Amino acid sequence: MYIKDIKLMNYRNYPKLELTFDDRINVIIGENAQGKTNLMEAIYVLAFSKSYRTAKDKELIQWEQSYAKIEGTVFKRQYHIPLEIQFSTKGKRAKLNHLEQKRLSDYIGALNLVMFAPEDLNLVKGSPQVRRRFIDMEIGQIQPVYIYHLGQYQKILKQRNALLKALQRRKTTDQTMLDVLTEQLIDHARVIVEKRFLFLTLLRKWAASIHQGISQDKENLTISYDATIDVLESDDKEKIKRIYNDTFNLNRDKEIDRGSTLYGPHRDDLSFYINDRNVQTFGSQGQQRTTALSLKLAEIELIKSEVGEYPVLLLDDVLSELDQYRQSHLLHTIKGKVQTFVSTTSITDIQHETINQAELFYVENGSITKQKRG
Amino acid sequence: MYYPEPISKLIDSFTKLPGIGPKTAVRLAFFVLNMNEDDVLDFAKALVNAKRELTHCSTCGHITDQDPCAICGDHNRDDSVICVVQDPKDVIAMEKMREFNGRYHVLHGAISPMDGIGPEDINVPPLLNRLKDEKVGELILATNPNVEGEATAMYISRLVKPSGIKITRIAHGLPMGGDLEYADEVTLSKALEGRREL
Repeated sequence: MYIKDIKLMNYRNYPKLELTFDDRINVIIGENAQGKTNLMEAIYVLAFSKSYRTAKDKELIQWEQSYAKIEGTVFKRQYHIPLEIQFSTKGKRAKLNHLEQKRLSDYIGALNLVMFAPEDLNLVKGSPQVRRRFIDMEIGQIQPVYIYHLGQYQKILKQRNALLKALQRRKTTDQTMLDVLTEQLIDHARVIVEKRFLFLTLLRKWAASIHQGISQDKENLTISYDATIDVLESDDKEKIKRIYNDTFNLNRDKEIDRGSTLYGPHRDDLSFYINDRNVQTFGSQGQQRTTALSLKLAEIELIKSEVGEYPVLLLDDVLSELDQYRQSHLLHTIKGKVQTFVSTTSITDIQHETINQAELFYVENGSITKQKRG
Repeated sequence: MYYPEPISKLIDSFTKLPGIGPKTAVRLAFFVLNMNEDDVLDFAKALVNAKRELTHCSTCGHITDQDPCAICGDHNRDDSVICVVQDPKDVIAMEKMREFNGRYHVLHGAISPMDGIGPEDINVPPLLNRLKDEKVGELILATNPNVEGEATAMYISRLVKPSGIKITRIAHGLPMGGDLEYADEVTLSKALEGRREL
């Protein structure tokens, strides 16, 4: 799939912008603070209906304007699909094929997208939250119903934490409600964990073979799921439910004491191993970066195998962070099959034949000029 | 532009209603100015009376102008079934159906620890008392199919189960007259879960 064109209105530093893209490589060039990342972000928002840079949608609206709008046309399965997303003080509206989608889970997944930004190099080393977001975003765009379960889980979690806090402060002594919320929580936790297991099986397969390629067969990458509640990937739903139930029963007093839910998918994590050694603790900086790169490339292949088409790839200021070898490995993998948006301060940073056929966009203070390379 | 005080007060009052923004409020206020005086008086009276004369039924919690309410006072209804709903509007929706002939119990909300609403803040304790005093054979839980409504239903069912009263939950699923292909995945999976043998 690829993005054919995009139209921005009052988006960050773009009052009005219309661009048509190449179906392969698009390079966005400009000095710092001119709007490169804003454009990348807009493409990201078009796919996921929210930004990766901020949790506040209001920040996407241009200063002193009342709304912001992103429109785009995606070419997918031989169809042109119009997407539109609008932010105003009243909230956001997402339209797919000109029809408003009340549930965002009906919208997300129309445009599949993989983003690789400097922050993603922290995927291995960074906080567990980064890895959870990675896994949640990826499953969500392949299986929208996952977003629903995640949303419900988060809602129940808030309720349960509020109740645990009330029990901790002895504002209530009602444990029946805790039982109810625990049962509700487990219902969704079970689905989340099952879907994560399924996703990991696929991710492992792709990541291992890609990593082998980058490391020239020297390194074997494996991924493990570190669950706060000891369930195994081979467990069936009833067993997962039972183990969850037992854990919550056993730790009831501890959770009340702490006033918060201590176990469940919201606390689970991933760890990565190269030749059986934990990359997070024992890996070199280079190995950590290679692992992050392998995971991102694995995502691309995974989406292709699940959705049937390659996703769109965003490389925000990340090529210059990779050394020559990894850079060319990345560009070689995507060559000719994945629509890619590359943002950079200077085109000379990237030396690869693929760039020679790219469409170039020069960004200067919120306006963009296009230039085709021969 | 400034309005004379009486009209600006009226506009202000209209904006307090749900679904009415500043522009609609202005339109409604100017419309009222052109209405004849009797209608305006009736209108004002209706507003005040609705507030003053309506109370909650001491048995079921439904809005009423007499206590017990018309439904609780109706001897032709089936005492053995109570349908638990969140809101008085839900009673009216059920009554429109004209198929349910049991009694109601209105909770006036759902349990939500996040908002500091516990079981005792909604109409749950009176329900438990009713179940003790009245001969009830079945309790139908018709709270909304969202997280809070579901939790409230589960909570009540846990409290009541030991007494041996039959507890049922209304079904979730596809709207009638709809097309299967337009249903969202969640509704569809609920409908599949609740399928029954023909």
